Formats: sequence, C-alpha cells, structure tokens
Amino acid sequence: MRFNEKELVSLSRQPSEMAAELGMRGPKKGDVVKKRLVKLVVNFLFYFRTDEEEPIGALLLEQCRVEKEDSQTFSIAFLDEAERKYLFECDSEEQCGEWIDSIIKASYEFMRKNLIFYRTEIHRLTGKDPLEQYGISDETRFQVSNGLQLMPRDTSSL
Amino acid sequence: MKLHEKILTHYLSCTSPVDKEGYLYKKKERNATYQRRWFVLKANLLFYQERPADRHLLGVIVLEGCAVRRAEADAQFAFSLVFGPGLKTYRFAAGDRQTQESWVKALLSASHCYLSLLVRDLGRQYEEAKQQQGSSESRSSSALKPSTYSFLFTAQGLTTTAVVREGRSFSASTVLQAPSIPTKVVAKKSPKLWPRRNAYVTPLNGPAPLYGEWPLVGFDPLEDFSKLHDYYGQEVKKAREEWLRSRQTEEERSDEDLIDLG
Repeated sequence: MRFNEKELVSLSRQPSEMAAELGMRGPKKGDVVKKRLVKLVVNFLFYFRTDEEEPIGALLLEQCRVEKEDSQTFSIAFLDEAERKYLFECDSEEQCGEWIDSIIKASYEFMRKNLIFYRTEIHRLTGKDPLEQYGISDETRFQVSNGLQLMPRDTSSL
Repeated sequence: MKLHEKILTHYLSCTSPVDKEGYLYKKKERNATYQRRWFVLKANLLFYQERPADRHLLGVIVLEGCAVRRAEADAQFAFSLVFGPGLKTYRFAAGDRQTQESWVKALLSASHCYLSLLVRDLGRQYEEAKQQQGSSESRSSSALKPSTYSFLFTAQGLTTTAVVREGRSFSASTVLQAPSIPTKVVAKKSPKLWPRRNAYVTPLNGPAPLYGEWPLVGFDPLEDFSKLHDYYGQEVKKAREEWLRSRQTEEERSDEDLIDLG
C-alpha cells in the first residue's frame, strides 16, 4: 500500500511534548528490548534509533489498547490481538502514567467522542449548536449519532 | 520508514464510521492523466482503492500538514492537497461542483490538529455554558460570540502549518477563520460572523501558492463564480479540452455515465 512517506517523516520531525528514550520491545516472540527515541505526534507513535533523523517506524494509535503492565512499563496492543503487544519501559512510574494518558488522548476517535459530547452538552445548556458558527455542523464526522449513522455511497460524483 | 499498514487497514474496517467516501479522479504525477479511484476518508487518513468492493487498498494519504486548495486551472472541479516545499501535491478532480465542495469541506476539517483545536474551543465553551447555566441573567442570542474565544478556525493550511510548528502549545492569540462554504443547509449565523469566506482558498501563512493556481485574492469564488470563470477564461477551456482527451484515452473502467461537461 502506497503512502506519503516523505510527508509522514516530515510530520515526525514536528515538535512534540511527548518524546523520550524508552525501552521498546516488539510484539513478536523473540523480540528484545531496544533503546528507542519514541515520539508522539498527532495520532502516530514514531520510533527512532537514537540520533537518527528518520524514524524506523510509525504506529497509528487508533483501535488500540494501552495498558499499564507494571510500575514503569506500559503496553499497546493493536489489531484486537491482546497477546501481541508492544512494550515500553519508562524511567519512572510518573513518566509511564504520562505516556499512557497522552497516548489515549491522542486518538482521533477519543477526540471525536469528546467533541460530540461537548456539542451535545452545549446545545443542551444553551440551545445552540456550537459548530454552526464554524460552518461545519453538517459534517459527518461531527454528528451526534455518529456511531449509528450509515454512510451513504456518494454516487453523485459521476 | 515502516508504516504498520495492518494497523491502518484494521482501523479502516473497524466499526467506527467513515467520514466520507466516493469516487474522485486522482492525477497521476508522471503522465498527468486522471484515474478514477474510490476514496474513503476516515479521521485524518484518506484511503484509496480502485472500486468500493475491493479488498486491496492502493494507498493512503495521511492528512497532516497539508493545505486544501481549489485548483480550477488544473481541471474542472479540481482541488489539491499541498504539503509544502519539497513535499508532494496530490491533485484530484470531482465530477461536479457539489462533490468538489463536499470533499474540500470534509478535507479541510479532517486533520488531527484541526480537531484538537476544535475540541479545545468547545471544551471552553462547555465550561462557560456550565457556569452560566445557574446565572439568572437572561442570555441574548449572541451570548456565545466568537470574540469571546481566542480560538477560531481556519483553512487547513493555516491551522496545520502554523500549529504544528508551535507543537502543542497553542498561543491564545492564534486567530483562525472558518471555512464557511455555502451548502444546502446554510449556517444561520456564519455569513455575518465570518465575512472572509475564501479563507480556504488563500491561507495567509500556509505554503506559498503555486503561480497560476490561485483565483483572485480577496473575493469569494463561490459568490463571484462568474468573475472567476471569466478570469480563467481561455485557461479553463484549454484545461478542459486536455482533460477530456486524457479521459478518453483512459482504460474503460467506468460503467456509469460519463460526466456531463456540457
């Protein structure tokens, strides 16, 4: 599958509050812990070899489960495969907690849910739709019934 | 760099809804022809494949750090995603104005950065609304004036480039503008509050516009479409003819009616 690699690499270079050297272990049996510069940018987790400019890889932080494994270690499981986890060893319990929190909050789906909550609540409290002023109240992604909505096929394009 | 594709495809196929999907023409960089592809927008990811039923995905475009531009000089109903100097520009064409508008609008509000700002802003509005709920003052209809808030929303180009440079610390003075595009359901207040409706066409500090690609700065192409049309005039006619020719040489894959360009 093609993807805009150069642009994604460029994204990985953006400043981020969550960037640190962590011990990272892959999900496969036999994977060992390696020191990696792990960086959270938007909803991607990039990981670099220390002092390298281009990341080794990028993990999309959607549909994943982040868990605390022990006092200084957290894991991320993707693809609903609870057994296949990426492990990250932090320097402190505090750092570990910060990472878990940040990763959860970085998810687009998490943000969308918050947005829908705020939209609904603001409308309930004030009688007004806060998205109207931005002209985006009819965008599918911000709909309150988002989870139940069926996406119609857009055949009007041709 | 390795992009763990399975994670993306898994996300695409999971139960959370798709934000937009449909056919668009995607321009091949090499020979400047357009190929029809089925696009699926979910979160800040734009996937594409040959047909909706296909399991095989051709590609994905991560929509961070790009500006969404109208590109009428390229082809009719064309628009592009511009990632900036040294980076790609993806060019698309829709079958009609409505589809073009719809996609431009959806892509403008697709980035993680945009959503992040929006959530922050709404979070503040929520806190204010909660506090005012108990107040005995009667609220005027303009109680939630945008001037109360530091955050406004802009064309994708502005948001993503400016914001991403600042990392996660957004200054309160970041002023943005709503890309208010007239749709069938017109926002009741937006024209008054947001006079500059061409924000998405002329981002102020996004990547420099490519010469020849821009409509006249300072007017709304949707309101003054006839002006825009006149302005491009012969260019549009030429581009259309070229595009039509390249469409005809494209492989026969469409079993639907050809676009009515008449």
